Amino acid sequence: MKYLFWAYTLTWALIFAYTLVLGSREKKLLREVNFLKQAVNDNDFNNFQEY
Amino acid sequence: MLNEKKNKLFLRIFIGLVFLVMATAQYLIFLWVPEEKTLGVVQKIFYFHVGAAWVAFFAFFIVFVFSILYLATQERRWDRVSAASAEIGTVFTTIVLVTGPIWAKSSWNTWWTWEPRLTTSLILWFIYLAYILIRISAGDVERKAKLAAVFGIIGFLDVPVVFYAVNWWSVSHPMLFGQGKMNLASDMLLTLQVTVAAFTLLYFYLLEKGIAVFRMQDEVNKIKDRLREITD
Amino acid sequence: MNLKKVYWIIWKDIMLEIRAKETIGTMLIFTFLVLVIFAFSFLQPGNRVSSEIIPGIIWVTIAFTGMLGLNRSFLPEKNNDCILGLALAPVEKSMIYFGKVAVNFIFLAGVELLSFPLMAVFFNFRIQGPLLYFILVLLLGTVGFSGTGVFLAALSANTRTSEILLPVVLFPIWIPLILGAVKASGLVLAGRLSDPLWVQSFWSWVRLLAVYDVIFFAVSFMLFDYVLEV
Repeated sequence: MKYLFWAYTLTWALIFAYTLVLGSREKKLLREVNFLKQAVNDNDFNNFQEY
Repeated sequence: MLNEKKNKLFLRIFIGLVFLVMATAQYLIFLWVPEEKTLGVVQKIFYFHVGAAWVAFFAFFIVFVFSILYLATQERRWDRVSAASAEIGTVFTTIVLVTGPIWAKSSWNTWWTWEPRLTTSLILWFIYLAYILIRISAGDVERKAKLAAVFGIIGFLDVPVVFYAVNWWSVSHPMLFGQGKMNLASDMLLTLQVTVAAFTLLYFYLLEKGIAVFRMQDEVNKIKDRLREITD
Repeated sequence: MNLKKVYWIIWKDIMLEIRAKETIGTMLIFTFLVLVIFAFSFLQPGNRVSSEIIPGIIWVTIAFTGMLGLNRSFLPEKNNDCILGLALAPVEKSMIYFGKVAVNFIFLAGVELLSFPLMAVFFNFRIQGPLLYFILVLLLGTVGFSGTGVFLAALSANTRTSEILLPVVLFPIWIPLILGAVKASGLVLAGRLSDPLWVQSFWSWVRLLAVYDVIFFAVSFMLFDYVLEV
């Protein structure tokens, strides 16, 4: 029973962790898109150069 | 716009379906299917062990197919499919390699056996990791895609050769334990099928998500390049 | 298939080696060192080493040494963009592949030839089976090593971390080859030709090696264009 529990838990932990990784990547990209949008709107290209 | 809405709706339904089938699989595994007589409750590891193994091999097959497609057409979108699929494959191969030893420990009292399928999974895992390493260290986008596609093809062809080699190897040194073959009762078979279906659906969901993230990455890079051109 | 062009590639690399004397000497010394380290780890002075680990020692040594040679087959071409010149030369890229494989095979075979007497002396083993069979296994193994090795060396030469990436990429692909070669040469070393079971399992391993060589030669040959193009 102990073995079953661990196998089951680890499986789900791995799947869950991977979904989290995907989500965080997506979030990071969204942040970047927002930043770029703002840079374009403000015509603030100097800022972008540093970025 | 309408199309996008439709897509979103479709995606929602799909996610719902994934949840539903996953839940059914869990129900079947833990509540419905009877325990195996000799192995006991531990035998239930078998269902998601096999399910994960199936997805791992399937994912690598997808990498292989889309690598060929990419080399033939040189279109970025095929490369994104391979990239996403390889990552998911790595995750599921890891699951196989975690659940396999746990099962071995519980039923044969040893963490690792050089059983052909488990050993092949281990090599598959190494190949996946090498594939991802190539992607990480290849530099610019096009080169990354091309080198990874080439390795995706070579690596996939390596897997059956590894399996045969390991199989012969373990035949010439007969093993202490049986091959873990069980006569599956029909209710067990049904549970296994539902679990495999559930994992496959989960795979497709993750694939869709992964491809979307890679596409976004590509688009952000494109915008950045464009902005650089303007500001220069 | 234009043999003359392949010949020129081989000639170029051998000439370079004769002039610079960098690769083969280093490979040879490295082989000796690895053998000595194996002796320390497996030998007890006065005892004979168990014959079961000899094939493992042979093939691990060859694999490590081969890795040295492979790292030298494309990385130096990156200096002064020689690789671009090579790719632009009026030669089909697959001919470059054949040339490089041949050069690697020659180097590796040379090192094997020179280090085997030493191995036999260090570990005090005798080949009980027919020598010709042993040479056959050695040949198939070395061809396979060079075939996939050169291909993946060209691949990893295009990345930023080429030298450390190569072994990680190459060993998983080599695994069936190493397994087959170790088992087949182990059978020859123990050799009992009268035993039909022995003969059968020996040939099944040799068949695996041959199949491996054919598959990966064909695939590398087809895909080499993409590896050199980037």
